[in-house]
Amino acid sequence: MTDTVRLIIDGVVHQVPKGANLVDAAKMVGNDIPVFCYHPKLAPVGMCRMCLVELGQAGIDKDTGAFQLDDKGQPAIRWQPRLATACTTVVTDGMAIKTTTPQVTEARDDIVEFLLTSHPLDCPVCDKGGECPLQNLTMRHGPGESRFLYEEKQHLAKHYPLGDLIYLDRERCIQCARCTRFQEELVGDAVLAFHERGRRLQIVTTSNPPFDTYFSGNTTDICPVGALTTADFRFGARPWELTGVPSICPHCPVGCNVSASTRLDRESGGKIVVKRIMPRQNESVNEIWICDKGRFGHHHSRHGERLTQPLIRQGGKLVPATWDQALALIAEKISAADGDVGAIAGGMVSNEDLWELRQVVENAHGGKDHKSLGVYPYRLSGAEWVAKVGLSKGSNFGQMGKGTTIVVIASDLSEEAPIWYLRVKNAADRGAHLITLNARPTELDRFAKSKLKISYGGEIAALKSLTEKPEVKDAANVVIFVGGEGLDRAGHATLMQGAASVLTSTGHAGKVNNGLIGVWAGANTQGAFDLGYSSEATESLLNKRPAVLILADADIVAEDAANVSLLAHREGKFTVVSEMFLTATAAQADVVLPRQSFVERDGTVTSGERRVQRFYTAQTPLDGPRPDWKVFAEINRLRTGSKPKLSAAAVMKEITEKIAAYKGLTYAELGKVNKQFPDVGGDDPYYGGTAYENKGGLGVQWPTEADQGKVPSVSMPAVGKARKLESGELLIVPIVELFDRKPAFAASAPLLHSHVPAPYVVLNSGDAKTLNLVDGDKAILSSGGVEGEYTVRVDAAVPAQTALVARNLNLKSPTPAVPMVGSIRKVEVVASHV
Amino acid sequence: MLAEKYQERIEKIFAKYPDKRSAIMPLLYVAQEAYGWISPEAINEVAALCQIDPTQVKSIAGFYTMFRETPKGKYWLQVCNDLPCALRGADQFYQELLDYLGIKDGETTADGVFTVEHVMCLAACDKAPMLQCNFHFHENLTMETMKALIEQWRAEAKAAQGK
Ligand code: SF4
Ligand code: SF4
Ligand code: FES
Ligand code: FES
Repeated sequence: MTDTVRLIIDGVVHQVPKGANLVDAAKMVGNDIPVFCYHPKLAPVGMCRMCLVELGQAGIDKDTGAFQLDDKGQPAIRWQPRLATACTTVVTDGMAIKTTTPQVTEARDDIVEFLLTSHPLDCPVCDKGGECPLQNLTMRHGPGESRFLYEEKQHLAKHYPLGDLIYLDRERCIQCARCTRFQEELVGDAVLAFHERGRRLQIVTTSNPPFDTYFSGNTTDICPVGALTTADFRFGARPWELTGVPSICPHCPVGCNVSASTRLDRESGGKIVVKRIMPRQNESVNEIWICDKGRFGHHHSRHGERLTQPLIRQGGKLVPATWDQALALIAEKISAADGDVGAIAGGMVSNEDLWELRQVVENAHGGKDHKSLGVYPYRLSGAEWVAKVGLSKGSNFGQMGKGTTIVVIASDLSEEAPIWYLRVKNAADRGAHLITLNARPTELDRFAKSKLKISYGGEIAALKSLTEKPEVKDAANVVIFVGGEGLDRAGHATLMQGAASVLTSTGHAGKVNNGLIGVWAGANTQGAFDLGYSSEATESLLNKRPAVLILADADIVAEDAANVSLLAHREGKFTVVSEMFLTATAAQADVVLPRQSFVERDGTVTSGERRVQRFYTAQTPLDGPRPDWKVFAEINRLRTGSKPKLSAAAVMKEITEKIAAYKGLTYAELGKVNKQFPDVGGDDPYYGGTAYENKGGLGVQWPTEADQGKVPSVSMPAVGKARKLESGELLIVPIVELFDRKPAFAASAPLLHSHVPAPYVVLNSGDAKTLNLVDGDKAILSSGGVEGEYTVRVDAAVPAQTALVARNLNLKSPTPAVPMVGSIRKVEVVASHV
Repeated sequence: MLAEKYQERIEKIFAKYPDKRSAIMPLLYVAQEAYGWISPEAINEVAALCQIDPTQVKSIAGFYTMFRETPKGKYWLQVCNDLPCALRGADQFYQELLDYLGIKDGETTADGVFTVEHVMCLAACDKAPMLQCNFHFHENLTMETMKALIEQWRAEAKAAQGK
């Protein structure tokens, strides 16, 4: 019992965790102390005084540890003369508080009355109305009638843009500083601050660009009033009309738990539609945060250009067909292909879809053949090392701090997996030893204890040196993130092995808060690996395409121009594409199948931490599109007469029976929820209301081999030969930007279009000089036979003879998928003569 | 640019502190001296010097009433009307001063000579009504002594202009 202490609340003795503050401790035992400025994810500041309580200390007998009793036989308590703020008080053994006395109630009433002296109380037109802590607490503590002069209310800006994503209503702000503290403490980007003081206090930003971070939307959730609203949702719906449907963000491997707020929408013809995406609490995954890509990236599901009918190529053109026609044709082609069938799946194909697609391919082959199941993109590999020594079951970045060493190699987490960035950054703030190993500066460097600059190609050598570092060798825990920047598929596989070797040789495998994470490209890339898909297969399928190639959510043409000819050569070949939109790839297909978006159906995806998680049907599906699993199951039925499964749950059940790692991970198991702390999703009047509560399940991490006691011994791969560049040659290194021009993302988040940078290339200052280029110049980059125009950025910290190019910004001429040698030349501006 | 014009002074300021952030306030004074007020450019320059986000600099400039965030008149009168001063008649004094100059709270006279605003406690509560003019205290004021000061300043401003 050393971890708990005794806290007496209104005369009742409770056991609460040692070190908790009073607000949290009371909440744990069911007592709601109202707050405005306090938030369990932020350090307490004691600014608003809403949490006042009577505070005392019970006398404790030194020898027995029992309470000293008064003459009524109750613990004898010495009360402090003044009220104290609960949020800034840490519980100690024998602490006593009173929360219901007239003195306390009066103090709370007064604080609310003060806050309302100049509050507009425009709840009827306020987006927060219905889920607003101030509104709730006003109902409980408010004066009913104001004693202040209406004419003296302040009138301030009601629609002040803090950037183009978030609007501030200056009249509604109650100056709790939650937004500024979120930016400063949690994100590490202090672009919001108070200006002036007293009654004139206001939130400002004078940063350039203004409030424009990847996490800005979260401030609108934690703002306890309607002062901060998103440009995406403001005036979009009233909170009480909304139903929260549990879902999973489809945009990156973090697998943030989200809640899709839906309602029956008149503008959408009375259909149930998603009005906004909110974080859903999962303390092991995303806590209560999501990035702006996840929050604003949901519009594709209702986009006017969605495909709603299958298309079949006839006379060189894609013409609408019925599902029966399309599927019969596919079945026929597969049967005729004599086993020459392969499939490539993109990043957001659910486990159920992948499984049924695998059945299609395996049936065609007459048995198992993993060589024909590919993932896209295919530059990352080495998933077998995750299966052996992946991040251990039960690990949680939220609990990492002192004693844990986190290594990030060849990855810019802030762009590739924002919430991992946020959680790693905060673990570092709590004392975790962060080591970044990159060839160029990344956001995370700011919080790293050691930034080891490596060269592209020098990754293995750098990993090797890690094994000797005391911060790794002697650390209690070690986690390694392995990205793919500067690497091709084989290089990434080797690096994964190297990381596995560091973990096993230093004894950091198979223990909670230890292990390996591949920074995959897609939300369900891990699931694809688990179900037998691989990057190696993709490579061979693209090198020698099979007679029938099925592409599910894999826009291989938009991402690599070379693939146009691969698909355009139709002699004896047949390409099936399952997509939501007529992508560049779909345009080359022989049959296009309209697929459903993640909000129109249910399923499971597996995050980069191997957590298998459920998403649920949120929105009335469009007429026409179907979930992939159903479509592939139907193809199988047509070909083999097999009995198709009736639900995604049934498909998952089969997966749990056939895939050892997924044993027992039925929908029921994945849907389970335990009580989480902080307790922010409930019906208390001060955190509640926003869609934090998790009712859809916390998901389950499947155990690695090391978790099951089989820690392999992994050898460190040999240091490869460094790439030799001739003078004048450049190594073109593709990097990742969170907001890119991928058609799927463009359709999903119109609000973010203006945040997508123009195609750019980053050069070292020396190289720029030799090439006669300066910041802002236009230059032509050529690599692998593709040329494209880019704006030059000069950065002294970029390695020499290297050109960094963000992928998927230049749609006209796709950037290479893996590093390759290329060259660059200036676009001469021809002076125009008048 | 402050960095070039006041290089030596800036270096001396930085040398006094363990980290750059601590130098924000002294640098804001340098900027105020150079530009007459804390302009948006001044904010950006100080932020760049301290390697910190401009919003943080703006916040500090806004918190302290000694920094001028808008261009002010030649004589910048800051009258305290916080509670203790108000009890000694500062509110009424302030209003009379504004009326005398024919401007409203926070405004500058048409000739650009006076800016008048009210501020929080200046730590001279026992000598109210009081004000500070370009950081110099004037205490135990009455409208009579105030008027005399105003006329004196006005004359000085005129003389300076004539030069
Ligand atoms: S905008 Fe909201 S979160 Fe920020 S200080 Fe005001 S009330 Fe608090
Ligand atoms: S971090 Fe990744 S999973 Fe989470 S909201 Fe952002 S894009 Fe989605
Ligand atoms: S002072 Fe405790 S919640 Fe604000
Ligand atoms: S209250 Fe005016 S100087 Fe203190």
